Amino acid sequence: MSGDHIHAEPTGFLRKHVFSVDHKVIARQFMWFGLVWLLVGGIMAMMIRWQLAHPGSPVPLIGKLLYPRGDGSVPPDGYNTLFTMHGTIMIFLGLTPLLIGAFGNFCIPLMIGARDMIFPLLNMLSFWTVVLGGLVGFYSLFVPLGAAEGGWTAYPTLSSTIGTPGSGETLWAIAVFLIGASSIMGGINYITTIVRLRAPGMTWSKLPLTIWGMFFTAILNVLFLPVIGSAMILMVLDRSFGTSFYVPATLNQSGGGDPILYQHLFWIFGHPEVYILILPAWGIISDLLSFFARKPAFAYKVTVGAMGAVTVLSAVVYGHHMFTTGMTAMLGESFMLLTMIISVPGEILFFNWLHTLWRGNLRFTTPMLFSMGVIFVFGLGGLTGIYLATISTDIYLHDTYFVVGHFHLTMAASSLFGAFAATYFWFPKMFGKMMSEKLGKLHFWATIIPLTIVFCTMFISGYAGMPRRYYNHTDVDYLRSLQHLNVITSVAAFFLGGAQLIFAFNFIKSRWWGSKASVNPWEVGTLEWTIPSPPPHHNYDTIPTVVTGPHEYSHPALKDRDWISQSEQLPT
Amino acid sequence: MNSLLIGCTGRSRLPARAWLATLTALLALACAPSLAAQELADRWGPNAPASANGGRVDSLFWLITTMISVSFLIVLVMLIVPVLRDRARPGHKAHYDEGSSLHDKRFTAIVSVIVFLVLDASVLVMTMKDLREVVWNIPNVEKGAYQVEVLAQQWAWNFRVTGEDGKFGTPDDIVTINTLTLPMDRPAVFNVTSKDVIHSFFVPDMRVKRDANPGAINQVWFKPVVAGSYDILCAELCGYAHYQMHGTVNVLPAEAFKAWEKEAGALALTAYDSNDPEALWAWEWKE
Repeated sequence: MSGDHIHAEPTGFLRKHVFSVDHKVIARQFMWFGLVWLLVGGIMAMMIRWQLAHPGSPVPLIGKLLYPRGDGSVPPDGYNTLFTMHGTIMIFLGLTPLLIGAFGNFCIPLMIGARDMIFPLLNMLSFWTVVLGGLVGFYSLFVPLGAAEGGWTAYPTLSSTIGTPGSGETLWAIAVFLIGASSIMGGINYITTIVRLRAPGMTWSKLPLTIWGMFFTAILNVLFLPVIGSAMILMVLDRSFGTSFYVPATLNQSGGGDPILYQHLFWIFGHPEVYILILPAWGIISDLLSFFARKPAFAYKVTVGAMGAVTVLSAVVYGHHMFTTGMTAMLGESFMLLTMIISVPGEILFFNWLHTLWRGNLRFTTPMLFSMGVIFVFGLGGLTGIYLATISTDIYLHDTYFVVGHFHLTMAASSLFGAFAATYFWFPKMFGKMMSEKLGKLHFWATIIPLTIVFCTMFISGYAGMPRRYYNHTDVDYLRSLQHLNVITSVAAFFLGGAQLIFAFNFIKSRWWGSKASVNPWEVGTLEWTIPSPPPHHNYDTIPTVVTGPHEYSHPALKDRDWISQSEQLPT
Repeated sequence: MNSLLIGCTGRSRLPARAWLATLTALLALACAPSLAAQELADRWGPNAPASANGGRVDSLFWLITTMISVSFLIVLVMLIVPVLRDRARPGHKAHYDEGSSLHDKRFTAIVSVIVFLVLDASVLVMTMKDLREVVWNIPNVEKGAYQVEVLAQQWAWNFRVTGEDGKFGTPDDIVTINTLTLPMDRPAVFNVTSKDVIHSFFVPDMRVKRDANPGAINQVWFKPVVAGSYDILCAELCGYAHYQMHGTVNVLPAEAFKAWEKEAGALALTAYDSNDPEALWAWEWKE
């Protein structure tokens, strides 16, 4: 099936390391790109938490550098820019490139037994488009009249010239458009590669669950990124060419558009985006839990079905973001019912993961710890979603810290834990070096404990009625009494941020000075662990023939070891 | 732990008393997080609701809290038991189980139905009741509703009430900024819109929130039942001073309210200027 389309090994430095069409190089590029942006977005989060704990006091270390005109404290418009760019960067430039760009590119060809993606040039274009998007987004911070300040959701008419005159918001929209275009290119490539380039014998029911997760994500990417793309085009037209798609006629402005139109477009994309980020993590941990429990993934087909059901449902529930916007009773109730139905496939996934662990032979490696961490944080985040799906409680909790806690646990922390699990797991194959397990475990515990505190205290302050996106909560009496909760959250957040330095140290140290990785250090059976670490340019000298499922661990027929490669026949 | 071990191998049966003890212990464990959450909320939670129906939001909140605490506890137990019991060690082998037997499928189906009925359907039924009876059921003037027009702007709340004549757009309309006076024990209905960007009319003590969209009118209502003053906040990011966009609702008993209405109406009449376009923003009410 595959093999004849591949490209020759490049010799020049540029073609080899910069403008490479090799999926493994592109994966590493996406990885470094995502990690650098996670650092930038993380620093912004620290500054947000500093401001919330100590409103108006100078930011230590970097305050003077970033806000030279004042005393080094964050100004209100600067604060709005911070959370706008924190959200945008973390979602579009941090997690998406790391989780989907890096691991999608690395794992798909290797795990299905192919020599590269089916469209290598499109793959390279996808990376350089996101780089361009990142540069435009970063440049938007330094333009006259101000950077983007409309929140990552950028609702008009705040994001129209009425609310934010600065060209930063326009550049922000262009950046999101470019990043979306990059994701669409990636999505087309992933879907086609998975459909067309599977090695002989790699049937749909032998596909590792990581690939299933990437497959569903790619489908959502291709279907829904165009929606945000068109929403951004209309926004740019409104801002720069005088149209009024989103600008209504009111007392002090002319226009004939509707700001709610944007909210529909945004959430038609925005809700699937949550699942775009979480589905790869679900797929990855479904595999890793089985690998390190040395047990088959419980009810493989049901897991795939549940992920597919979530993929479909994710497209029809977006209205729950708009319960306070004003919609008809019937529409609101329909969205509520559909949203609640997601808990059924969600619960099935949880029970399958927990059943995979049950009576296993658990190896508590770092990837395993982070995979189990996903169960914990997604459990917390997913269950608290019920409050927000229920209209009458959502009306009270909407736009409070309750929502912030909820979506950080689900789409941010769970995807990030999935990305960490994947990084610790595939690092040996990607770079040919082992990461330090000791530092990895330290990183896990130093992350999960403050993380739980950060977002659970947000549930409390949200229930107490603390609105989000407030520069300073001490202006209102009842919010002032909650200020010490904000301090607790911020202190925990600083520990959480500091813990990531352990990861950065471990990553860089292992990359250049780590011990050499063997072909199969984890003793697992998927195809990528049959070839050297890192794999040669063509991946497979001969394309393997797949005869066994991806999760045949501790099979009774196996005598001297508890695993078997997908290209090996089970003994009879 | 022991009972779980025996339960899963299914070899020996526990005596009834042990079952009862295990069940009680599990129930107590399940209640613990919910009780702890209640304790936290008493200390840090919102003020007691000051509206007739605010309590419904709170009781639904605690129903969900109890149910998800139990669910999360089940997840934690199923996560912790293998961690303690099944760690890799020499001579220990995993139990090969693909989970594809009829028994497993039946288990999945049953748990799904239970989860949907317990977690979703019960909440759905309760919230539908609240929605039909309260949220969507906006009272009209015949039912004694007190009407308020809310015009949000960067960064203030403009309120317009009819004055004693009960009609909008007349010289005795009382227009206030950031301060709203409401009669106690009478449903207050708000027509909410905005001049510029989207704001959100949020009165935490009444447990209501509604977006103020430019170019459209949204309705929301509550019935204040406790006299006092309460905060109004903006809950939708609206720019530079979003965090400073707050106001106050003063809820007065019927008599005191009448006196206020008379006085404020008279004051409005003296200050009325028919040439001031800024003062003429009242709109038609649709019922």
